[in-house]
Amino acid sequence: MSREAQLRKRARELLADKCVVMVLGYRPAKREGAVQPAFITRPEDADALVFDDRCGMNLAAYLPRVKHLGRIAVVAKGCDSRSIVGLLKEKQVARDQLVILGVGCEGVKENGRLSDACTTCAYPNPVICDEMLSDNAPERKPAADPLAEFEKLTPDERWQALADDVARCIRCYACRQVCPNCYCPTCFMDASGPQWVGKTTADSDNMMFHLMRAMHMAGRCVECGTCSRGCPMGIDLMKFNRKVAKIVKERFGAVAGLDPDEPPALAAFDPNDKQEFIR
Amino acid sequence: MTQRIVTAAALDKLVAEWAKSGAVYAPVKVKDWTEFRRISSLAEADLTRVNTKLSAKGLVFPQCETMFRFETNRPDKAEEVAQPGAQVVLGVRPCDAAGIAVLDEFFTGQGETDAYYQRRRERTVLVGLSCDAPADTCFCSAVGGSPAGTSGLDLLLTDVGGKYVAEPLADRGAALVDGMPEATAPDLAKKAELAGKAAAAMADRIDTRKLKGLLDAADGHPIWEELSLPCVNCGACTFICPTCHCFDMTDETRKGKGARIRVWDTCQSCMYSQHASGHNPRLAPAARFRNRTMDKFRYTVDMVGEVSCVGCGRCIRECPAAIDIRETVDVLLRQLSQSDAMQNADCKMQKSK
Repeated sequence: MSREAQLRKRARELLADKCVVMVLGYRPAKREGAVQPAFITRPEDADALVFDDRCGMNLAAYLPRVKHLGRIAVVAKGCDSRSIVGLLKEKQVARDQLVILGVGCEGVKENGRLSDACTTCAYPNPVICDEMLSDNAPERKPAADPLAEFEKLTPDERWQALADDVARCIRCYACRQVCPNCYCPTCFMDASGPQWVGKTTADSDNMMFHLMRAMHMAGRCVECGTCSRGCPMGIDLMKFNRKVAKIVKERFGAVAGLDPDEPPALAAFDPNDKQEFIR
Repeated sequence: MTQRIVTAAALDKLVAEWAKSGAVYAPVKVKDWTEFRRISSLAEADLTRVNTKLSAKGLVFPQCETMFRFETNRPDKAEEVAQPGAQVVLGVRPCDAAGIAVLDEFFTGQGETDAYYQRRRERTVLVGLSCDAPADTCFCSAVGGSPAGTSGLDLLLTDVGGKYVAEPLADRGAALVDGMPEATAPDLAKKAELAGKAAAAMADRIDTRKLKGLLDAADGHPIWEELSLPCVNCGACTFICPTCHCFDMTDETRKGKGARIRVWDTCQSCMYSQHASGHNPRLAPAARFRNRTMDKFRYTVDMVGEVSCVGCGRCIRECPAAIDIRETVDVLLRQLSQSDAMQNADCKMQKSK
């Protein structure tokens, strides 16, 4: 049975058996060639579900929004499953309220090309799931380190490279809204008393937003690339994500979204920490 | 007014001429899209793409605009900022120009006139460019526009093959092409043919009158919950929209000196409707999604007499969740009509009892 046939069959069964109240997956969008998140609640609608290399949006982002409905089945690629691990770790969803339908992922395509984030994906298969809808996808050979060029730059040049990119930011917060990590009821960007960050698109305000967001992602971002793909202004957000993930791995030996029981890298205290100041 | 012919070479000269007396903006290639940028010669412009990343809205209603400067210990004194300079915007697609016509209605049409908008708009000349090959997201003709629409424009250029037919729509547009040769009947026929072809490539006319009637009674309808599920409530659709025009005002102060700045705001943000009391009447994501749809097809009809969707398709192109306003409208027309019919049936049954 094909992956898609298996997906539809299981979705239908889970809904008919009342195991779940909703299956969160993907369906074709009206625009030719596009897909969008699907929120299937009736067994007879399960045939709308699709899964292919267009299904890039990280569905874990919707879990905190729909969890009040009851138990949810969710289609999860490797990156989606790692985001779910993050949500479990941060107590945003309960494991017994999820049915994770795993799919092996060959990488998401954008305009016919492998999405930038997927070129360095080390986890194409779910790290956590209740059942697999497909065989595991083959491990991908990660591309050469996309940070290499950036890291050759001097600090001033790095700043300028980031500044040139975020200068296009229109502060729509699509990056934040599509991110499974961004579930705060009030984001620091929206706080008005005090107002932490200016509301204009001046270079300093834009940079402040992106740097603060990057810091908040440290040890949490699974580099799924949904923010980069979702950005209407084509800002290379993966540059921030990759750099932060790399630092966390080097300094803390931690990789986000692998183990729900592992303490969060930047929110845990260790009396044997190698840094003097923390003891 | 007399339609004229402007050859590519003549347009090149005109742009150089305009650039001497003010700023000239045109679509310029950036990465794999185009954005309005200031140019000094036509060679810098890319007039081949249908829609720029952001609409031309920002040129008459900037995302950030300093309104005045002040000193915190001198509340009686505000320092005006310099008047914006004159500008010619070249290559405005008819949908974007129609969007600016909607902004004109909001900011200067009735009630209080917005002085900041007005002074910039008065010094802006819009030179449009007809579309001959709509994108798959375009639907201007479905909401009452046209690939050769003239609303909001001072001059409309139509590429008829190596040269443009220039249709003046206002005196200042006519002044731009004064002295150019008159367009011939075959030129005008070619122009009409291209517009017809482009319109035919787009979706059928949406029954916006019917939709308005249905939306008038759809505030509490459960359809909004369902339609809004994929929406992540980012502000992308509102910021890239040619007609969304909500703004917030913010004071930036440093060492006793400050500036009051207005910045685009979005009804998709929960802070948009947050009251000082702590109450938020549009906290639910579905309510925020509903607001934008209602605004386009109902509220603005009440306010300025026309829908405020111009069919540019940017929200379809850029929505991270691939929400398609054409589908939203389809579903609304279908589902609300059904529930309308059911309600009517209920009424009849009750009456017959």
